[in-house]
Amino acid sequence: MAVPGAVVPMRIEVLHLYRTLLRVGRQFSDYNIGEYSKRRTMDAFRDNKNLTDTRLLSAAFSDGKAQLEVAKKQAIVYSLYAPKVKSILDF
Amino acid sequence: MALRAAVLRHIRLPVQTLPAIGTRPQSQRSFLRLFSSHDDHLTKEEVIDRVLDVIKSFPKVDPSKVTPDVHFQKDLGLDSLDNVEIVMALEEEFKLEIPDKEADKIDSCNLAIVYIYNHPMAG
Repeated sequence: MAVPGAVVPMRIEVLHLYRTLLRVGRQFSDYNIGEYSKRRTMDAFRDNKNLTDTRLLSAAFSDGKAQLEVAKKQAIVYSLYAPKVKSILDF
Repeated sequence: MALRAAVLRHIRLPVQTLPAIGTRPQSQRSFLRLFSSHDDHLTKEEVIDRVLDVIKSFPKVDPSKVTPDVHFQKDLGLDSLDNVEIVMALEEEFKLEIPDKEADKIDSCNLAIVYIYNHPMAG
């Protein structure tokens, strides 16, 4: 039973998604949400590191891509409302 | 008149023969300005030192095992996710944006050093 849109990602695609998510985390103007993004990415990818079931793999990969889209939009929104003074944690 | 002469005798400097300017290479060099914008490139030593520092401060790495030709996954026991994180940390240290295709190839200290040293924007 083929689920439409369920593509099993190649290893390199997973690593590219990881890198892209970490980059978006770096772009956040708010230090706290940026660190959360990066930490959450690292935890999620590590938890799913040993998946072998193709359905779980493709589900996790699609989830990751969806989160990437959310994160990219949020990075823009946060930058619009960024405080004028940088957080002390950024130094 | 004698007072004037006495005072002048103290004020006037004795004549010295200075050595010819051409025989003083140090002062000559100080007049030579290098106006090239490329002479502030990082030295290989500086690149090596900073790359090793970044890798040693990575939490999952044992600093005593880090040498300039160490392989991240084979020698330091890291996995591919850690590899990505290390390359990101190097990007932050040297203020670079490494494209995915190039970043995929960096899996050892040596390759990182060579890539960064040859990158014109490394800072």
